Amino acid sequence: MLTENTPIEATQDRRENLKIIGAISATCAFPFSAGELYGQHEHPAAAAQAALPKPSFFTPAEVAQITRIADLIIPATDTPGALAAGVPAYIDYVCQRNEALAKTVREGLAALRGPADAATLEQLQAAKSPFFKAIKNLTADGYYTSKIGLLDDLGYKGNQVLAEFPSCTIPEH
Amino acid sequence: MAEKIYDVVIVGSGAAGGTLAAHLARSGADVCVVEGGPKVNTRTDFNTHSLPHEFPNRHIPTMKPGKPGFDSERSRGLGGKTMLWNAVAWRFSQRDFKGRSHDGAGEDWPLAYADMAPWYEKIEREVGVCGNLDGLEDLPDGVFLPPVPMKCSDLIVKRGAAKLGVKVIHVRKSTLTQARGPRPGCHFCGNCMAGCDVVAKYNSYDVHMVPALRTGKLTLQPDSVVREVMVDANNRATGVRYLNRVTKAEGEVKGKTVIIAAACVQSIALLMMSKSARYPTGLANSSGHLGKDFIPHFTGGVQCFLKDLIGKPATNDEGFLDHAYVPSFMHNRKRDYARSFGVQFNYQNRRATGWARDVAGFGASYKEAVKARFPAFLTFAPYGEMLPHAGTYVELDYEKKDAFGLPMAKRVLGWSDHDMTLFREMTRWSKEILEASGAEIFAVGEKPQTNHELGGARMGSDPKRSVVNAYCQTHDVPNLFVVDGSVFPSASEKNPTHTIMALAARTADHIAQRAKRGEL
Repeated sequence: MLTENTPIEATQDRRENLKIIGAISATCAFPFSAGELYGQHEHPAAAAQAALPKPSFFTPAEVAQITRIADLIIPATDTPGALAAGVPAYIDYVCQRNEALAKTVREGLAALRGPADAATLEQLQAAKSPFFKAIKNLTADGYYTSKIGLLDDLGYKGNQVLAEFPSCTIPEH
Repeated sequence: MAEKIYDVVIVGSGAAGGTLAAHLARSGADVCVVEGGPKVNTRTDFNTHSLPHEFPNRHIPTMKPGKPGFDSERSRGLGGKTMLWNAVAWRFSQRDFKGRSHDGAGEDWPLAYADMAPWYEKIEREVGVCGNLDGLEDLPDGVFLPPVPMKCSDLIVKRGAAKLGVKVIHVRKSTLTQARGPRPGCHFCGNCMAGCDVVAKYNSYDVHMVPALRTGKLTLQPDSVVREVMVDANNRATGVRYLNRVTKAEGEVKGKTVIIAAACVQSIALLMMSKSARYPTGLANSSGHLGKDFIPHFTGGVQCFLKDLIGKPATNDEGFLDHAYVPSFMHNRKRDYARSFGVQFNYQNRRATGWARDVAGFGASYKEAVKARFPAFLTFAPYGEMLPHAGTYVELDYEKKDAFGLPMAKRVLGWSDHDMTLFREMTRWSKEILEASGAEIFAVGEKPQTNHELGGARMGSDPKRSVVNAYCQTHDVPNLFVVDGSVFPSASEKNPTHTIMALAARTADHIAQRAKRGEL
């Protein structure tokens, strides 16, 4: 019988460990009442994506430029891309609340003098343009935090109830 | 009606405050816990199971709409940081308590591992700690619930580290891996640091304070931001003065013994705010050491992709965040710095995809590259021990007031040559271990970041060089105690909370014994 403060030797094996676990439950110092039972628990299915307001910060011409660039950065492939995930509205929402970022984006759009194409983006990327970095960050953030990006494209499978954590099944591991 | 005078008033309700409250109430003392934040319900109040897309700005707020709490350092909520912690629970070793004796730098604790071992065990039996029995000299085993299997990615790192003679072990956490009483085992949703809505993970409110309320000896007073410890002409603490979190109205709670357990920096700040003619630089600061000897852990960080997993199908491996750990291995090897480091790794959520920004390129090939790397992303964070030095300390900034009109606590971090040597070494080792594990290194932290605030009201046997004694009693005011990370004279590289809880249990027993003998 284990008593309080029995020293636990480093050499104890798993069977002894299990006996100790039994003792932990038996000696639990704080009995709970049934009214406090936890664990009647189910995770809801993934909630809907929060609606974003229609772009109102950037001008319609700027929104058209942003839409074109977001589509070039994360196009639709076998999964939907930035446009289906609502990235232009996300970029408008974030820039409305971040003056410095808005300035970088707005100046970059003005310097383009019209719609961008892939070659223009290649040049901006090669030149380490702060505008390119800003608009790519915004597009990546907006897409990979969207329901389409995280769940449909990347295939995120977490945030679920598992009865036990699965052991690795890859033989060489 | 006469004003209520409690046997013990505890400021703060986290790991230390909650443990103290339960143990003292069970010993028969009349206890009042004064907490700056509101009462929060871990089952309903946190955004535990939300995903970023549910919010327009894609940031998941801590609290659900309309639920107050966790809005400032001085007003978190009942349960304090244990509501949102990751629950890692190590015992410190004899080497950790006697660092100066071991390698000649920093400070020894005025107690030894043998003094703490029974209290670690008591906490493990009370709250449930999972882990494996590893038989390591520097990381003592305890009384554990079964460990959780390692993730595929952990096993890849384990094989890589083994090539360098470095061990990878199962993490130990104050999280149930099997049901106990009304608490179910963990269900591996990966949301540990967003509240645990089933209390599989320890929090001090549900596991320690709620059951202790049944003794009828415990009073909880949330929404009360303590601004001062009151001391009478006889140098006795008589209670605390607080501001109501909402109305800002002032009030007092009186007690025969006062314990400050407000989480390191806020405990230091409270002592400083309680200055008087007798204690002009802060209460219980006759040593002049209050705020000095601040030794938070510092971390580096390497982000990588494990090549073995690039392009593999995504799996649900959120688990309870990190399942494995690299225990310190340099403390007995030849090195040109004192102390050591350990590595927490693989604790990232898969849903946190900020790294995707920095994957090169754009277009379909970029999208494909991100998707291929999604199952392979891994964060590796070594934790190092800082030594006390004059450049790192805590002070009050009277120019900057918080929402309560109280001076803000200011952390001054000056990295010593020793800190930087250790930082570079632990970063180098991290990269080597990951490269040996077949990783594509993605990003390397260039500057140390702090975590786990410790020190600043250190424990020692010499009243001229320390603030409290080995029982967390201040040298200056006999009925005033400080119990939390602030009393650590040396920090180890190991996560501190388990040691804070063991210290709290030991201090509670000490106070109860002395109260019985009429010594307090």
